[in-house]
Amino acid sequence: GRALATPAGCGSTFNVQDGSDFQDRVVNNPKPVVVDFHAQWCGPCKILGPRLEKMVAKQEGKVLMAKVDIDDHTDLAIEYEVSAVPTVLAMKNGDVVDKFVGIKDEDQLEAFLKKLIGA
Amino acid sequence: DYDLIIIGGGSGGLACSKEAAILGKKVMVLDYVVPTPLGTSWGLGGTCVNVGCIPKKLMHQAALLGQALQDSRKYGWQYEEQVKHNWEIMVEAIQNYIGSLNWGYRVSLREKSVTYLNSYGEFVEPHKIKVCAVKGQVTYHTAETFVLATGERPRYLGIPGDREYCITSDDLFSLPYCPGKTLVVGASYVALECAGFLAGLGLDVTVMVRSILLRGFDQEMAERVGAHMETHGVKFIRNLCIFIQVEKLEEGMPGRLKVTAKSTEGPEVFEGEYNTVLIAIGRDACTRNIGLEKIGVKINEKNGKVPVNDDEQTNVPYVYAIGDILDGKLELTPVAIQAGKLLARRLYGGSSTKCDYINVPTTVFTPLEYGSCGLAEERAVEEYGKQNLEVYHTLFWPLEWTIPGRDNNTCYAKIICSKHDNNRVIGFHVLGPNAGEVTQGFAAAIKCGLTKELLDETIGIHPTCAE
Repeated sequence: GRALATPAGCGSTFNVQDGSDFQDRVVNNPKPVVVDFHAQWCGPCKILGPRLEKMVAKQEGKVLMAKVDIDDHTDLAIEYEVSAVPTVLAMKNGDVVDKFVGIKDEDQLEAFLKKLIGA
Repeated sequence: DYDLIIIGGGSGGLACSKEAAILGKKVMVLDYVVPTPLGTSWGLGGTCVNVGCIPKKLMHQAALLGQALQDSRKYGWQYEEQVKHNWEIMVEAIQNYIGSLNWGYRVSLREKSVTYLNSYGEFVEPHKIKVCAVKGQVTYHTAETFVLATGERPRYLGIPGDREYCITSDDLFSLPYCPGKTLVVGASYVALECAGFLAGLGLDVTVMVRSILLRGFDQEMAERVGAHMETHGVKFIRNLCIFIQVEKLEEGMPGRLKVTAKSTEGPEVFEGEYNTVLIAIGRDACTRNIGLEKIGVKINEKNGKVPVNDDEQTNVPYVYAIGDILDGKLELTPVAIQAGKLLARRLYGGSSTKCDYINVPTTVFTPLEYGSCGLAEERAVEEYGKQNLEVYHTLFWPLEWTIPGRDNNTCYAKIICSKHDNNRVIGFHVLGPNAGEVTQGFAAAIKCGLTKELLDETIGIHPTCAE
């Protein structure tokens, strides 16, 4: 797809590197961010991930997507009370305004994203 | 700082910690896996979840499914493709499941507010441990009570090449490549179960046995287990004891190894080439490097295990121990879990129930499964005297084996009864499919005092092996 130049850098999806990266790029981000908590051993995550990325890209930079591997960043997962994966949080101005657990189809994801952008 | 600190996050440690937390105590669990010589490591949950019961049963199932595919044609299933097995697909699926279990344990500890540290802990003085985190920071913690639940790790041969080139069960279940032609050293249930499923997956397997099979188990049953494996393609080399060395002939995944050994009896030297050598000669307790000597906890110097009283208390009153490290007790997950839970209830819940180690059922998941509860025949003869026992036995042919024409003289069951005690069943042994499922029910009956008469009066479910 097209790579959009946004103030944050390259493209609308990124992998969270550590706690302070999460603070900078998710909590303190002026734009809304969906956070995809996933794991290597989770089958459904491998389906949801690309699907969510595609729908985020469709929103043309109005929302960004952060990916967090719960085994690499267990503290973050614990802080945000993730028990099952995939868990997706919708974050705006540092607050969790919406969330879902498990797989969703493209229409459901689009509605979720539009609600986050619009609200 | 804490009411209870548990060293070891396996079956016993986790069960004890959760029960103590439910009873309102402030609990910490330390779990740390020292990587194998080849670098293998794993997450929270202990041996059973990561490198024991769980992956073992799944690989055993994979092998059984291979056999089922063979049988299926006789039942009318028709398919053209040659059926082959992909090791990598199986390992990935199993490791993914284990990953979800590791995570599940972390969540459940967090839900019960148990502090979990993935770090190595050791005692420095009474009531105090030193914890070394991965990044190097050292912290100290104190507790009123401690529980040792550190479990065991596989023993090596102590010869040139063993740690560099050989694998153990710690490595096998996450091996990223198919082991190929394998030599299994040992005749423990770990050795036979692994040899069994590797052969079932189509690999060329040889088992090297020093003396007897399944030490500690009923020997008649052990020999039958071995005989079945032999008629189904597993090679056995017996009475070979002294290993000289393992050399690497060729790099690769797997590579090629050469094993040199000699017999205890004669001068013959054995040389063999294999892709993989799996050492399964026993497991050693992880009690040597946790500072037990600093606080005076006595261990059995011969095997490193911890002697305890029937309250699971060591010689130091505030230190308890559970699980595989106990001297003279059974090395089984359900036993550790039960011991852990009951210990927490006795410490904090006002209970006085102790763990019952008698008549614990078990099953060896070799290709032909062997389930047992109670005494082996040799032990029964020793304890009661041959004349006071009556042994009832039978061969049986599972109905499902008739159509595919599988062995009709291999499945076997026997019970040992004590004549002077109303013909009470004191030993139950069954060799056949689903032995674990079959044995579980009989274990409950034995706990209720099953006698031969009661058994005879129980009408069977037809058609089953259990009847």
